Amino acid sequence: MIDLSLDPELELLRETARQFGAERLRPRAREFEAARGVDDAARRAFAEIGLAAAAWPESLGGAGLGALARALVLEELAAADAGAALALDPLGPAFHALAELGEEAALQGLAAPLLERPGARAVLAWNGESRVELRAGHASGVLPWVPADRVDLLVLLDRDSAAVIDGGIARSELRGAALRAAGASELRLERAPVRAWWVNPRAARRALARARHDVASLLVGVMRAAAEFSRAYALERVAFGRPIAHHQALAFLIADMATAVDATRLLVQEAACALDRGEEADALCATAFAEAAEQAMFVTPNAVQILGGHGFMQDYPVEKWMREARALGLLFGGVDAAREDAGRALARRAEPLALVAPP
Amino acid sequence: MNFTIDDELGKRLAGLRELGRARIRPLGVEADRAGRPLPPDHPFFDELVKLGLGRTRWPGPADDSARPRTGARQHGSGDPSGMRAPGHSVAGCLVSEELAYWDRGVAVSFPGPGLGEPPLLSMGTPEQKERFLGPFRTPDRPRWGSFAMTEPGAGSDVAGIRTSARLDGDCWVLNGDKSFAANASRADWIVVWATVDPALERAGHRAFVVERATRGLGDFKIEKKMGLKAYESTSFTLRDCRVPAANLLGGETHYARQAGFKGAMQSFNATRPMIGAMAVGIGRAALDAALEFARESGRLDDPRVRDRLERIERRLRAARLLCWRAAWLADARQPNVLEASMAKAAAPPAALEATVLGMELLGEAGGRGDHPIEKLFRDVKAMDIVEGTGQIQRVLMARQLVALPRD
Repeated sequence: MIDLSLDPELELLRETARQFGAERLRPRAREFEAARGVDDAARRAFAEIGLAAAAWPESLGGAGLGALARALVLEELAAADAGAALALDPLGPAFHALAELGEEAALQGLAAPLLERPGARAVLAWNGESRVELRAGHASGVLPWVPADRVDLLVLLDRDSAAVIDGGIARSELRGAALRAAGASELRLERAPVRAWWVNPRAARRALARARHDVASLLVGVMRAAAEFSRAYALERVAFGRPIAHHQALAFLIADMATAVDATRLLVQEAACALDRGEEADALCATAFAEAAEQAMFVTPNAVQILGGHGFMQDYPVEKWMREARALGLLFGGVDAAREDAGRALARRAEPLALVAPP
Repeated sequence: MNFTIDDELGKRLAGLRELGRARIRPLGVEADRAGRPLPPDHPFFDELVKLGLGRTRWPGPADDSARPRTGARQHGSGDPSGMRAPGHSVAGCLVSEELAYWDRGVAVSFPGPGLGEPPLLSMGTPEQKERFLGPFRTPDRPRWGSFAMTEPGAGSDVAGIRTSARLDGDCWVLNGDKSFAANASRADWIVVWATVDPALERAGHRAFVVERATRGLGDFKIEKKMGLKAYESTSFTLRDCRVPAANLLGGETHYARQAGFKGAMQSFNATRPMIGAMAVGIGRAALDAALEFARESGRLDDPRVRDRLERIERRLRAARLLCWRAAWLADARQPNVLEASMAKAAAPPAALEATVLGMELLGEAGGRGDHPIEKLFRDVKAMDIVEGTGQIQRVLMARQLVALPRD
C-alpha cells in the first residue's frame, strides 16, 4: 500500500549525508570550486562513512541498499556541493554501466582496483550520438565535456553497449561552466584501445536509466538548496517596509518553487522504488530526469532573482546552483533524449497512468 | 517507501473502472449534450443505491459513542470522529481520481450526504447525526445531502458570508443568498452557513441543517455551466426561513467552545488532495484520449506529438504524487497544510494543460465541439476554483513557508 515513510535505516543514512554535507562540503564549496577538486581529508572522511558505498553491492564493499538510498545520499550531497558530490565518488554513475553490462567480473576486475587508488575516477560518458566511434577494438572521437580532471577509467555508454577505455585518452582542461569541484575536461580519443566492450541493449537501457536517476537526485539537491536559501533570504531582506517574502509576487513564487522541489523529489523516489523492486523503470527514470532538469531551470534562476543584485554576485551561493543545475541537466543525453525515451515508452501504452491495469 | 496499490483497493478500483466504463462515462456525455444534470429520478441512481453506494460513513450511534473523538475538530478533514479506516485519505484520492477519470460531473451527482457529511460528523450532536445521517446508513432510495457556504459576494473569502441568522423564540431565522451548492435542489437537507453578526467575521459563523421544503427556502436555480454538467450546481435563497433551534449544528455549546469558524482551522486536510486527485483523473482521461487520437491518426511517429504527450504524462504523474503525499500525511495524522495546498495548487493546472495540449493535437477537429477532449477542457477548469482557488492555495502555502501576514 502507498506508504511514504522512510525506513529508520534510510532515515539515518540521509541524516548522515546531510550532516556530512553541511559540515564538510557546504562551507568549503567555493574553495573546492577554485581548487578544482576536494582535498584528501574530505575524500578520506567521505570514504570512511561509506556514503558512496551505500548502494554498491557487498562484493564491492558496499551495503547494497539500492536506488532509494543512493537518491537520498546524492540529494543531500548536492544540496551542499554537487561538484564535490561527483568528485568524492570514485565510480559515480559509471558504476551502473559496469554493474549492469560488465556484471560481477567488471566490478571485481575494473571497479575494485580503481577503488584502491586514492583520487582515481571512473567517468561515464553518453555516446548515444556516436561522437566516439568504436571500431576494431579502438575508440576515436571527442567528448566535449566531462566533469572530471582525472579519468582513470572511461565508460562509454550508448543504447546498445558499453565500452571501457583506460588508456590513450588525451585530456584538455576546460574552465567548465559549473561543477568545477569535480573538474572539467575535454577528452580526445585517437585509436584508444578498448579494454572491454559489452553489447547488451537491455542492460544498457538499465544503466542509462540509473545514470539519469543519479543526475535527477543531484538536481533535486541543487534546487532544494536554492529554494531554501532564497526563502530564508526573502524573510530577512526588507523592501518597501516589509520582508520581500511578504510581497505576494514573491510569496507565490516561493510557494511554487517549494512545490517544484517536492514534486520532483517524489518522482525520483517513485522511480527509485520501482528500481529497487526490480521492475523496468526506464521510463520513470527518464521522466524524473526530464522533470528535474526542467524544474531546476525554474527554481535556481528564480533563487538568483529573489536575491536580486546579490544573487548575481559570487559572495552568495545561488549563482553557483543555477550554473550547476544547467550543467547537470546536459549530462547523459540531456532533456531531449530523456523526453524522447519517455515519450516512446508512452506511445507503446494505451492507458499509461491507469491505477489498475486495463483488463 | 511504497508507491503501489494493494490488492483490496485494487479490486475496488477495478469495480469502479467497470462502472465507469459502462455507465459513468456515457452518462457524462449524455448530460453534457443535453446541457443539464441527470434528473434525481434517473434509474442510474437507483442502481448505485443497490450497489451499496450513496451511504454515510457514520457507523451508527453504538459505534460512534464507543470510539474516541480524536480529530473531532477537524471540520472538512473528512475524519470527524476517529472512525476513519486506515489509509482512508489515500484511498479517497485513488477513488476520486478513478471516478473523475470516467466523469467528474457524474461522480459529484452520486447520491449520498456529500459535502454536508464532514461538518455533521465533526460538529453534529448524536441526535443530529441520527436524524440527518441515519437515513443514509442503508438508504431506501437515492438521497442527497448538500452544503452551502459560497454566496454571490463571498467565494474563497468565506469570512465574508452575509446570510444572517437571528434567534427568534425556539427558531433561527435565516436570510440570504447561496450559490453553487452541489445537489441542493434534490437534497433532503442542506448544511447552510450563516452569520449572527458579520462584524464578528468567522467567530460569528453558524451552521444550520435546513431541511427540504422548509418555508422560506426556495428559488432554486440550477446554474448553466461551462462543463461538469452532469451534476447540479444550484443557487437558492433563504427568506425569513425559520429553522428549529435543534438544527443548529453542534448546538450552542459547540460555538462557545470553538469560537465560530475555528472548527475549520485545522492542522491537516484531506479534501484538497482529493480535489487534486480528481483533476489528475480528468487530465488522465485527456491523456488517454490524446494518445488514442495520435495513434489512430498515425501521428505517434512525430516527435513533437510525443513531446506533448510526454509532458502531459509527466506533469500529471508529479501532481498525483503530490496528492498521494498530502493524503498519506493526513492518514498518518501529520500536519499537511502546506502539502495539501501544493497538491491542490499543482494538479488542476497540470490537468488543464493536458486538455489544452490534447486540443492542440486535435487541431481544427478540436473546434468541432464533439470530441471527448473538448468536453474535458471545459470540465477541468473548475478544479482550480473549487475548495480554494489556486491563488488561495498559494496564500496558504506562503503562510506556512514565509509566515505571510493575514492583513
